[in-house]
Amino acid sequence: MSARILVALRIKAPPTRVFDAFVGETGVWWRPNPLFSFTPRSPGVLAFDGEGEGARLVERLASGKVFEIGRVRTWVRGERLVFGWRQAAFAPGMDTEVEVRFEAVGEETRVTVEHRGWETVPAEHVARHGFPDQLFLLRHGQWWTGLLEGLSVHLTP
Amino acid sequence: MARLTSALCYRDPKAALKWLEAAFGFELVLLIEDGEGNLAHSQMSLGEAHVMVGNEWSADHASPASLGGKNTQTVHIHIDEDVDAHCERARAAGAEILMEPDTQFYGDRTYRCRDLEGHIWTVGQTVKAVTREEAEAATGLKIQGWA
Repeated sequence: MSARILVALRIKAPPTRVFDAFVGETGVWWRPNPLFSFTPRSPGVLAFDGEGEGARLVERLASGKVFEIGRVRTWVRGERLVFGWRQAAFAPGMDTEVEVRFEAVGEETRVTVEHRGWETVPAEHVARHGFPDQLFLLRHGQWWTGLLEGLSVHLTP
Repeated sequence: MARLTSALCYRDPKAALKWLEAAFGFELVLLIEDGEGNLAHSQMSLGEAHVMVGNEWSADHASPASLGGKNTQTVHIHIDEDVDAHCERARAAGAEILMEPDTQFYGDRTYRCRDLEGHIWTVGQTVKAVTREEAEAATGLKIQGWA
């Protein structure tokens, strides 16, 4: 089984619009969190580099370097997006995955983020900051909720 | 601003998440699971309101299912429309209806039910404006703080 986080939020916009903003305007609504930085030089600007399966979620750092957070594994516009998620400090074999689902509910979109695979990152790993597992996952989940709220504000200012 | 949130204990909280969505229309907004797939924490929303759904996480936290059906608190949901349809939805999901929808002296139409583990919920909708004088006349009670 996978240690996972699931958060969901309704956004007042259609699924294709929410999906396009998620992948195409990432740097605008993303809110970096120093507790969960991808590299020692973060924060940079997040972006999806390319479209479709094989595209990359990257962080473009001020130095000009580009850190690859993960590759897109599933890209179904307006419905579903799956991508890998690694921090620079992750050792081989540590890999988490993010699945984002976009469901129409009336005139709104219910956006669900499932972030799984945290059991591959050991309790003593620096990424966890010494937090007990549940607290780490809760804090990370609250960050995801904040990210979706940022996406919502971006789409419905 | 202050906000009050009920945190409910279930023997099987993952079943409760599904049931509360089917019966009452709650939506899951946060779920944390450990490496064994056990629920660690969850929250559901209904409009602007939230409940937390958890397990029997300490010796002092128990589901009514572990207490012979006893409740020490109940949760009240207030909705804007069609409490009768809400009741039928809950019934269809397996709620035990303890009191069918009925219009109360204070102007709310309410029903009361037990969920899958015995938590008692009431659900109400305001269907008519009632003054304090009317409520006092209807009940014979002296009422303070009538909004």
